[in-house]
Amino acid sequence: MKRVVITGVGVVSAFGVGAAAFYDGLAHGRAAVGPIRSFDAHAFPVRVAGEVPVGAIDSAWIAAHGLPVDGAVLAACAASGAWRDRKVVFGLLAALEAWRHAGCTADDAPAALSLALGLEQAFLDDFAPFVAHGAIDWRGEAAAPASGIRIRSDVDLAARVIARALGLTGMTYANASACAAGGLAVAHAASLVERGAADIVLCGGADSMVNPLGIGGMARLGAASPRSAADACRPFDSRRDGLAVGEGAAMFVVESEERARRRGARPLARIVGHGSTQDAYRVTAPRPDGMAARRAMAQALRMADLAPPGIGYVNAHGTGTPLNDVAEARAIRDLFGAHADVLPVSSIKGAVGHLMAAAGAIELAACLLPFERDLLPGTANNVHKDPQCAIDVIGPAPRAARVDHVLCNSFGFGGQNASVILGRPA
Amino acid sequence: MTAALQATMLGWAWRTPLGAGIGEVMDRLYAGQRAVQPNPRFDAGTYACSVAAAIPGEPRAARHARFLRRMGAYAVEVAREALGAAGIPGSARVGLYFGYGGLRAHWDDLMPAFREQQADGADAWHRGLALLHPFWMLRHLSNNAHALAAEELRACGEGATYGGANAGAQALAGALRALAAGAVDTAVVVGYDSCIEPETVVEMAAHGLLAGLPAARVAAPYARAAAGFVPGEAAAAIVLRRSADAGPGHARVQALDAADGAHGAPRMETVRRLLAQLAQGGELIDGAGWAHPDTDLAERAAAAALAGNDALLCCTMGALGQLGAAAPVVQAIALARMLERGLAPPIAGLRDPAPGPLRPLTTTTPTGARAAIGISLGTPGLAGAIRIER
Repeated sequence: MKRVVITGVGVVSAFGVGAAAFYDGLAHGRAAVGPIRSFDAHAFPVRVAGEVPVGAIDSAWIAAHGLPVDGAVLAACAASGAWRDRKVVFGLLAALEAWRHAGCTADDAPAALSLALGLEQAFLDDFAPFVAHGAIDWRGEAAAPASGIRIRSDVDLAARVIARALGLTGMTYANASACAAGGLAVAHAASLVERGAADIVLCGGADSMVNPLGIGGMARLGAASPRSAADACRPFDSRRDGLAVGEGAAMFVVESEERARRRGARPLARIVGHGSTQDAYRVTAPRPDGMAARRAMAQALRMADLAPPGIGYVNAHGTGTPLNDVAEARAIRDLFGAHADVLPVSSIKGAVGHLMAAAGAIELAACLLPFERDLLPGTANNVHKDPQCAIDVIGPAPRAARVDHVLCNSFGFGGQNASVILGRPA
Repeated sequence: MTAALQATMLGWAWRTPLGAGIGEVMDRLYAGQRAVQPNPRFDAGTYACSVAAAIPGEPRAARHARFLRRMGAYAVEVAREALGAAGIPGSARVGLYFGYGGLRAHWDDLMPAFREQQADGADAWHRGLALLHPFWMLRHLSNNAHALAAEELRACGEGATYGGANAGAQALAGALRALAAGAVDTAVVVGYDSCIEPETVVEMAAHGLLAGLPAARVAAPYARAAAGFVPGEAAAAIVLRRSADAGPGHARVQALDAADGAHGAPRMETVRRLLAQLAQGGELIDGAGWAHPDTDLAERAAAAALAGNDALLCCTMGALGQLGAAAPVVQAIALARMLERGLAPPIAGLRDPAPGPLRPLTTTTPTGARAAIGISLGTPGLAGAIRIER
């Protein structure tokens, strides 16, 4: 099997556009969950989110971020309605940053694309003109494509826009495994490179549920914290009461170590192990005993040929919901045994919110911080330790440490679990 | 690029517009039946395409019904049946690989929340979003069928849900990789999709893909008069094991997928490259059957480059309608049955084939083929290819 490395990263998060903003935010222990500004949420029960600091996205904002893409391609993206969908824009910005960061050129265009995508959201202004007498009047849709209205939400739009902007010609995979999708998309990319099915893969996730339907649906489900406060999400804290919705994207360039060396690219991390399991329990709740999550981590350890003490940091899924955190803590404690006493664990969801399909991707991006700056991200809003979560949870401030291997968990609604282990580059 | 991986099919199940039983549907395919009819799911009389191939009836009552829409319920049904047919119990070594093409907000479910909304979104909560059902999010969860199937089957191994019009091919390819890597011992692959809902009909019609004639006058794929396909729907599942673990006498499957960024159909060079990665040999082709003269001809040329000009051409989707993400899994089942019986069905409704490579079948035809190829296409620029070997 080929050794796999990450050579580029791009991030769009509540800290802003760009990986630097993300890493600076984490390194300074900041949190960016706050009042929703991209639409009028004042009457919603949930009014805060880890929102990317931009209101309505328009061409001026796009231009301000200097997308180095051919104008005709941008025009085609705009015509397809891409700019109206925040996650597509975020995905494109992160992809371009990762691509540039890795020093990729037109020679790398055969790259495959492995992208995590979330539930397509409906946009109020898409359908409102067509509501008549309490029903959608579809007969008015004949002109829809010409006017840029997206009737059938296009699950592939983000992938298509990224592929077109970068001229990618390789395989495209759209992973839709809910909150585990980001981790699975990167693990999938690694497996393609490991077995030689692809030379280079652009991978990661992009998602946004910060829109009326997404926020409204999450509020009705009862998963979001009912407190519309900046500390809405308090992972592993005894007062935790739900998640904070986030949005953004994280993308990576993944390739073989040999290929990276050959073209002079600097590895940011090695992907040394990954595992995936299913709870087979309930669509609404994780297994309380954390056994399936434990097996995902154990699989990743086995693949990495590491014993539990070989892991120096765990980036937890850590949603800040009562059930997830205690089950995950149990799984970590069960797998790592006494090592769990000294194994630092944190969740960045208090800082940037839950990015849903992109959560696993942005949290893997956070896992590069220990290698780049010898810092372990903190857990924003973790103030009152929960005795039921008997692990070493890092508090709000990041912790200085030099570690060689980090493990990142992504556990999805419906019980899909993904664990990925990164290693410090040689 | 490495060659396509391979595994053995041990169990299968489907829900198609021609029925739910494997033998029943195959008999109808051999009889040249087509499921095309006026769209039974909604009044499509004023639409650019008013016909459809719909699964008859409704899913069985199930305790998970509140979390699933119709196609998701079918997906769980076929997963259960296929694993049961294979006689394999759920375990931590059973993985699930789902491909779903219909990942979108469904307008009908949203009407209570939407009907009073304004285009500017003002006061959206009080204008209806407060009326969303608490389980709305779960009913639209991208992997809900996957999650519920895992629970019901006690399948605790690896798993993924893929999205997009070629998600079935992605799921097949993902399962083959997992088996090859030893991540699981058994893989349940499910493809499910419906292309007959209003928003999908509108979208496909806008791309000029759909047949615009009444059911009786819709031309078959690969016909001289072909002028668009019939939207269909299906859910299908197959159970795969590594060939070394499966014993003799079972069909083997390879699967690949590709995307080339094209706006509509994928470039045929993409399909040709995909087919070139499959093992050689495939005397029977199950075509994608988009029923567009240029696409049909280009597809035939691409297939002929692998199988030769005289290979037989059938078209499961000519009878069942275009099945989106479900297509490659349905094809895998149908082709395995065809190879087993040594009979290839006619292309339903085909009387006057367009000239070109391959031999489009107008009658049921004996075949000694040991391998067959299935091709599926999707937008934007998506393709899937499978190869079934006796």
